[in-house]
Amino acid sequence: MTTITAGDRIPTWELPITPTLVVSTAISTRDFQDVHHDRDIAQAAGSKDIFVNILTSTALVERYVTDWAHEVTGHWDTEVQGIAIRLGAPAYPYDTLTFTGSVASVEDGLATLTVTGSVSLGDHVIGTVKVAV
Amino acid sequence: MSGGEAAHDRIMAEAERIKALGEAAERGARDPVNQPTINNWLEAMGNTNPRWQAGEAPPSMAQVWTMYGLGGRPPADDPLHGMMKVLTDEGFTAVLGTNCEQEYRRTLRVGEQVRVTTALDSVVGPKRTAMGEGYFVTSRNTWYVDGPDGQDEVVATMLFRVLKFVPKGAAS
Repeated sequence: MTTITAGDRIPTWELPITPTLVVSTAISTRDFQDVHHDRDIAQAAGSKDIFVNILTSTALVERYVTDWAHEVTGHWDTEVQGIAIRLGAPAYPYDTLTFTGSVASVEDGLATLTVTGSVSLGDHVIGTVKVAV
Repeated sequence: MSGGEAAHDRIMAEAERIKALGEAAERGARDPVNQPTINNWLEAMGNTNPRWQAGEAPPSMAQVWTMYGLGGRPPADDPLHGMMKVLTDEGFTAVLGTNCEQEYRRTLRVGEQVRVTTALDSVVGPKRTAMGEGYFVTSRNTWYVDGPDGQDEVVATMLFRVLKFVPKGAAS
């Protein structure tokens, strides 16, 4: 067991994107926009396929950070206080969402983490996460 | 350009009118914070944090509680949807989420009833982007519960930015 320290790298997490993942996460966030569950409509709208919704991008950033904080600290008490994401390339089924991250700073009990989730088309999400440590 | 200077003036005038509404269109969550909804989310996300089985809700679910759901519609006075309609009517028909910044004051607890307000924060444009020309529309949501003293307690906030644009190659 250890603590969260500036400069720490967060181990890479690779998440295969499947149609089931896209649909189940969208519905579990109560987001029923058709482009997240209906491929025909998504393609008619000019998209390659259905794609991961924004609430899920945020939720996966939360999971990446809290799973790692649990590994580092041995407890689940790390409080996520904010997740700010910039959105880029869509995350389509049959691609892989690869998260990388690091601890930018730790000051006054507040750690600022930078997280990137990338897909084959480029960065899907670039995030800054604030956690109380 | 889609519509030129006259259109820009109309868009910015509407933006100022809607911004002046401040926090508007308050609406409650369909259900209180509840374990079955949390469990569905945990399964889908593959999130195994045991705290979310013991009376607390994951922070990034804050927005989930007040989603419109299947067939739900924004209130007529909703500032974000009002601004989107103004831009759609001026020819900026396409939309793309670009930024989502959430802050969590504390975790919600099972049984709490959440409500949300929406305010228009800013409208910036027209900007030429890789997607096409458009306006960046930023809204601010604030989630509340009734505090123990009967006062409104802010539990989470979100700045959400979209690009409302004319797709490249589309006639304008």
